[in-house]
Amino acid sequence: MYPMQGGDDKLESLWRAYRAACPDREPSANFMPGLWRRIESRRNFTFSFQRMVRGFVTVTAAVAIAIGVYVSLPRATPVTTVSYLEALADANALDTPEIVGPVRLDWNESGR
Amino acid sequence: MLVEFELVRRAQHGDSEAFNNIVLAYRKRIMGTIGRLIARTEDVEDVAQEVFLRLYFSLDQLRAPEVFEPWLYRLTVNAAYDYLRKQRRRPEFRMSDLSEQQVMMADAAAGGKVEHDEQQQKKLRETVDSLLGAVSEADRVLLLMKEVEGLSLRELEKIYRVKENALKVRLFRARQRVLKAFETAEQKKQNG
Repeated sequence: MYPMQGGDDKLESLWRAYRAACPDREPSANFMPGLWRRIESRRNFTFSFQRMVRGFVTVTAAVAIAIGVYVSLPRATPVTTVSYLEALADANALDTPEIVGPVRLDWNESGR
Repeated sequence: MLVEFELVRRAQHGDSEAFNNIVLAYRKRIMGTIGRLIARTEDVEDVAQEVFLRLYFSLDQLRAPEVFEPWLYRLTVNAAYDYLRKQRRRPEFRMSDLSEQQVMMADAAAGGKVEHDEQQQKKLRETVDSLLGAVSEADRVLLLMKEVEGLSLRELEKIYRVKENALKVRLFRARQRVLKAFETAEQKKQNG
C-alpha cells in the first residue's frame, strides 16, 4: 500500500522518538481544585442562564395570556337594543315626504 | 478500563466522589495524550481540564458505561482539535518552515539517535510539530492517535464513528503528506 517503504521506516522511528519526547506528565497539585472551580463556574452560569430563560418564558406566557384575555373580552361599545328593522325604519322614517307623502291628483287637468 | 463500570454509573447519577475518582484514574493518561496531540506542554493541563469538564456535563448522554473509554477519548480528541484550531492562525506548511537544525533533529530522530536531555526533546517536539503543519488539525490528531498513541483502527472507528476504510484512506494521505514534507526538508538541506 505504501510505495516509500524507507520513508515509512523513517516516519516510524520519528513517531517513536516523538513519543519518548512526550512522556505522560504528572498533573499539578492545582489540577483537581482548578477542575472543580471550572465545573462550579459553568454550573453557576448554566443555572443563571436557565433562571433567566425561565423568567423570560414566564413573562412571555403572562403577556400572551393577558393579550388573550384582553382580546376575548367584549368591547365596551354602546349597547344596541334596537333590532335591524327598527334601525332601518329609524333611518327611513315613514314621514319622509318623497316616500309617504300624499299623492296629489289634479282633477281639472285629467278631466279636460 | 481503569475504573469499574459501577463507578461510571454512579458518576452518571451525579455522585461527585465517583466522578472525582474517575478523573484521578484517567487524568495522567489523558494529559499524556493531549501533550502528544498539541505538542505544547504549557497548555496541557488546561486542555485536560476542559476534557473532564466536558465529561462532567455530558456523562448523562453516555449510553452504557462499557463505552466509557472511547467516549472519553472522543472528548479528548475534540478538545485537542478545538485547541489546535484556536491556536492555528499559522499559515500552511511551507518547506522553509523547518530550520536546518530541525531537519537535522528529524533525521536524528528517524535514525533513533536523539539524546534524552530536555533541550533535545523540546527541539524534537517542535520539529514534529512543524512537520505536522503539512496536514490539517483533524488529520494531525488522527495521525497521532494512530501512530503515536498506538490506537488500533477498530478503536479509532469507535472514537470517530467513521468506517475503518475511510480512516485508512485519510491516514494514508496524511502520512504521505508528512513524509513528503520531511523528504523535501531533507532535500533542501542536502542542496543548500
